Amino acid sequence: MKIIAIYNIKGGVGKTASAVNLSYLASLDGASTLLWDLDPQGAASYYYRIKAKIKGGGQKLVEGKRNLEEAIKGTDYENLDLLPADFSYRDMDFFVEMSKKPERRLNKMLEPLADEYDYVFLDCPPSISSASESIFAAADILLVPTIPTTLSLRTYKQIKKFFKEMDYDSMKILPFFAMVDLRKQLHRLIVDYPPSFMPTVLDSYIPYASEVERMGVNRAPVGDFAAHSRAAICYRSMWDEIKSHLFSHP
Amino acid sequence: MNNKQLDLVIPLDKGLPELLASFQNNFYVNVLPETVIHRIYYDTFDWLLYNNGAVLEVHEEGESRRIYWQANQQSSLRIQLGLSDVPQLASELPDSDFRRQLQSVISVRELTPRIKIKVKRLPLVMLDKHEKVVVRVNFDEHWYYPSKTRAGTVLGKRIAIKPVKGYQDEFGQVEAFFEPMRLREAQDNLIKLALLESGYSASEYSNKLNLILDPEMPAEQAMKQILLRLLEIMQQNTAGSIRGRDSEFMHDFRVSIRKTRSALTQITRVLPQGTIIRFNQFFSGLGKLTNPIRDGDVFLLKLESYQQCLKPSSQEHLKPLREYLVTSRATAQKKFVETLKTQEHRDQIKEWREYLENADPTEPPLENSGRPVYKLADELIWNMYQLALEEGNAITDETEAEALHELRKTCKKLRYLMEFFQSLYPARDIRELIRAMKGLQDNLGVFNDLHVHAGILKKFIKQSPDSRAKKACKQIVNELKRRQVKTRGKFAERYAAFSSGETQKEFRELFVDSRKG
Ligand SMILES: Nc1ncnc2c1ncn2[C@@H]1O[C@H](COP(=O)(O)OP(=O)(O)O)[C@@H](O)[C@H]1O
Ligand SMILES: [Mg+2]
Repeated sequence: MKIIAIYNIKGGVGKTASAVNLSYLASLDGASTLLWDLDPQGAASYYYRIKAKIKGGGQKLVEGKRNLEEAIKGTDYENLDLLPADFSYRDMDFFVEMSKKPERRLNKMLEPLADEYDYVFLDCPPSISSASESIFAAADILLVPTIPTTLSLRTYKQIKKFFKEMDYDSMKILPFFAMVDLRKQLHRLIVDYPPSFMPTVLDSYIPYASEVERMGVNRAPVGDFAAHSRAAICYRSMWDEIKSHLFSHP
Repeated sequence: MNNKQLDLVIPLDKGLPELLASFQNNFYVNVLPETVIHRIYYDTFDWLLYNNGAVLEVHEEGESRRIYWQANQQSSLRIQLGLSDVPQLASELPDSDFRRQLQSVISVRELTPRIKIKVKRLPLVMLDKHEKVVVRVNFDEHWYYPSKTRAGTVLGKRIAIKPVKGYQDEFGQVEAFFEPMRLREAQDNLIKLALLESGYSASEYSNKLNLILDPEMPAEQAMKQILLRLLEIMQQNTAGSIRGRDSEFMHDFRVSIRKTRSALTQITRVLPQGTIIRFNQFFSGLGKLTNPIRDGDVFLLKLESYQQCLKPSSQEHLKPLREYLVTSRATAQKKFVETLKTQEHRDQIKEWREYLENADPTEPPLENSGRPVYKLADELIWNMYQLALEEGNAITDETEAEALHELRKTCKKLRYLMEFFQSLYPARDIRELIRAMKGLQDNLGVFNDLHVHAGILKKFIKQSPDSRAKKACKQIVNELKRRQVKTRGKFAERYAAFSSGETQKEFRELFVDSRKG
């Protein structure tokens, strides 16, 4: 089972859009795939037309009182399941819970799913929280969508520092450029010449595209309703690149 | 709790369209486009996966090619990600659970596509009032095509009801819909059906003789049967030996040549002398072609252990040796393949088969041709055991190594005779005796391997210009000598078991006394 976290402390950078589209592509490969919507906003659940309400609340889930399996719902796509966000996350402190034994917490919860899923995608909430460490520890790959602007690059630097301070292997962090608008000179410059503190940045990037926005209306990944669009093609080539990282054999 | 997928068998005489129509009348469904999936099952030549409950298959659907693996009947079929193709050998895989599990079943054997099944699938999804998919149902028709040119046959029709997590109730409704039809749950796997259809059985290949001889059968007839079975094993392993990737083919191929030669030279005065000389020469030539290939393979495997006597830094100096071995092997393999492809070779094999398949007795009959086979078998085995004892008794600590090699060959001849005529004796008694011989045979075998391997090293040393490699090899030769001394040290004890009063008594009872009464 490979765990892929889509992470950034900034909101609105395309985390959920990426998590939704990449998990869809994984399921098309025939891989049994789970998308875990960790964001209380429940955007990923919304895109997949699943009510973001877990019976019994998310807190119990984290405490291990409830069987994670029972909260999982199948999407409209074969091989693709979703663990919905729960609005009750807002009230309880999921993150305090996570901080108790941060490194192992998420791993432990996912363990029983290893026999069933080939991929687990984590759509992470923004903000640096105590859950971050748990996510860093569990993930095989940490995808960091980054808008090619000066401010976003600074944020990326911060995340990387944070990651290193906790002693995780920085090769696991794969940043990529998202919401790229090539008409903007700065975007073009940064995409063509990524800064040296981004040695692992993916070659593929996601352009700013109206199809991605339309996902909210269609409530489906772009590959489903606009398979030949620029955005769909970009997500596909990014997914291929991610797989080459996951399955490179030294 | 979540449901498991339910697979139901649709009787062959029941039409899919009617079933589909009635399903559509009862549920809100969306019919998806029909798809065709080719399922290709891989296995070894001797069906190791199938016989061990493992499954390795590729699903081809349009552009996509997926590889699935199931380690045993208790585990489930799982997709193997990150692979573009099925490997030919387990060792080609990157280190993974898949590789370890596969290796434990097939070891060094080669995988090839064995069975192809075509699935015509009509997928449907059942929707709820929000148009959310709540159950998936596939109507599948499985076709078996024995070859590209022959017509296919329907192996079976199936309905797969696949639950969608979180919609147990809807799954129950679909289940209830099919219940009154009393469809059987599919348990038999499709490979089994395809195997039946194809006419070959997965237990078909065996490198054992598995011959049942009638004790009263004339010796000539029995001998021809034995030789024919050996030829069959040889031919079953020819294609694989020519491909040269899986060394087990070559091993079985060689063993049947050795057994053939042993039968020709040991079962005397049954077949005409001219025939024996001619075919013994032919098989001897063939065997010689394979020696450097097999010896090289075994040596390369053993080298891992031999080189432990060197410092790690000196171990690296063995690179030219490895290169030399690989090149020599390739040269020998090439020569072997070329020979097997000649018309002359094919003619010889054909003539041999025709000769063996001809049931007419030799005219005029030879001394042993018409005797009941059991009498000849008794005599041959007993005499060979006596010869082994004679040779073995003469061996002391001072005897030349040559005498041990002779004894090894005699024991092998004895062992082969016992295998040829196994069915004439109580299975348990024969097994016991073979076990009593094993200790000695292993000891002599190791001694011989060490001798052969020292020979390979000496040959390399003579022609290599690399002084560091030569030095390392000389050290290994010395190590092999030490091991030979050690192995020889154990000889007396092993021989004692083989020649004990108890074993002698058992041999006498089985091959001399049993039919006196
Ligand atoms: N590549 C893109 N092109 C255009 N709009 C995008 C793109 N990616 C995301 N968006 C839009 O931006 C908003 C924020 O994206 P989202 O994926 O939810 O970000 P995050 O999860 O990081 O908060 C959404 O309205 C989404 O539709
Ligand atoms: Mg989000």
